Amino acid sequence: MLEIYKRFWQVNWAEQWQYRANLLMYLAYWLVSPVVYLAVWTAIANAEGNVNGLTASDFAAYYLTLLPVDILTSSITIHVLAFKIQEGTISNELMQPVHPILTNTLMNNIAFKALTLIAFVPIWIVLVLLFRPALTITPLSLLIALPALAMGFLIRFFIDSIITLVAFWTTRVWSIWQFNEAISMLLNGAFVPLALMPAWVQAIAQFLPYQLGLSFPVLLILNRLPAEQIVLNYGLQVVWIGALYGAFALLWRQALKQYSAVGA
Amino acid sequence: MHTARVLAALFKINVQQELAYRADTVANMLVSLMWLAWELTGLAIIFSNTASIAGWTFGDLLALSGMWRLLNAFMQAVVFPNTEKFNRGIREGTLDYTLLQPANSQFMVSFSRVAIWNLWNVGLALATITIGLLISESRPSPLNVVVFLALTASGGMVIYSLWIVLIALTFWFTKFDNNVTLLAAVADAGRFPATAYPIWLRVIVTFVIPIAVATTVPLQALRGDLPWWQIALALGAGVLAFFLSSRLWQAGVKRYSGASA
Repeated sequence: MLEIYKRFWQVNWAEQWQYRANLLMYLAYWLVSPVVYLAVWTAIANAEGNVNGLTASDFAAYYLTLLPVDILTSSITIHVLAFKIQEGTISNELMQPVHPILTNTLMNNIAFKALTLIAFVPIWIVLVLLFRPALTITPLSLLIALPALAMGFLIRFFIDSIITLVAFWTTRVWSIWQFNEAISMLLNGAFVPLALMPAWVQAIAQFLPYQLGLSFPVLLILNRLPAEQIVLNYGLQVVWIGALYGAFALLWRQALKQYSAVGA
Repeated sequence: MHTARVLAALFKINVQQELAYRADTVANMLVSLMWLAWELTGLAIIFSNTASIAGWTFGDLLALSGMWRLLNAFMQAVVFPNTEKFNRGIREGTLDYTLLQPANSQFMVSFSRVAIWNLWNVGLALATITIGLLISESRPSPLNVVVFLALTASGGMVIYSLWIVLIALTFWFTKFDNNVTLLAAVADAGRFPATAYPIWLRVIVTFVIPIAVATTVPLQALRGDLPWWQIALALGAGVLAFFLSSRLWQAGVKRYSGASA
């Protein structure tokens, strides 16, 4: 099994490497919103001293930690898979004796992350020099955050995969994806640190899977969470991975049952 | 007369295209309504923590988000579909047919395909701008309103010209099918007043990829924030950009030899 993953890694790394120019464009696309949010909050914090206790350098630390975490935990499954389902080319992968999403697509995601992260390092250094964040990272906080990053990725990967599987039934999967994306951006901490949200929104966001894939690992790395919060969020991550994997497996079986390939 | 007939024909084709995918049109309209709700939520969150951003109040930012939606509607309706068609034309040689048509080639390449459903977005944008201005209780003089409209038009012209430059460059660098990605990427920076940004970001959105010229700047004029020489400069930039981009387009077409030939 390990050998299989190794092969899929080699293929997908080579494929992603081929599109490295596109990757830079993608990076630019993905960077603009967080940098703009950071710029806006910096302006507000500088004008008022602080926002709810957060200073300009706190905001800088938050968004500049969020950027690499987002690369590590985000998923590109719908971008690499939805068109294969719609055009029927997924048939080739279905012939292989392995689960295409849990091998090929998973490795494609990881290869994309690796390459994006490498390209992002110099940009990150420039942003750090421009925004001067108060980075409160310690080796221990990084170490504690490693499992949270891995599980955060699994959560986002399964949510993304579940939405992608809807493409087996309807072609308008991108509209559904956009709705999910909008909710996710508000409730995972990408738009603002969740601490600035109204209390009732924070209470809802706490138990939804979105913040577990972004806000939780970010705050963990920055040493901002008390011990009981860390335990609670780790517990929630395990529960959500179980639930999402169950839903994904169920949907996958149903999808295969009714799939007949375009043109077949 | 000739131009009117070309326009009428194009309009008819595009309405037919839209009607062929009615369910998609409805889905698109719902999605853009959803994003409007998202933006309102975002503004509500920001303004529950502060009273203003660099002197801009909630109403001002609402109007700005309307300006941004207007720009975005132009990109979705005109820029993206026609760029896609143009890139395919360069790759497969079908651009030859467009160039052979007895109409201005730059006009045909920019406006032959228009995603009509974006009229919905234009409507939402105008409503947002109006409501934003009412909430902000700004009382612009008639002169300021005229300047605002002129600057919006000239800002649109700057963005249009930049787009023409980007796609015209494809005549020189054939493998340039990422031509508008950067424009689309930076567009998101138009959601907030450029005056709130640090200087380096302000320079990028004002001069390099001048999104702010079509979003922040006209509203600044409406508020009476702009000295006369900046207004003159912005208006001049629109005319100059249009002139230069047309010249570049013509040079590009002259150079073009066709993929099929």
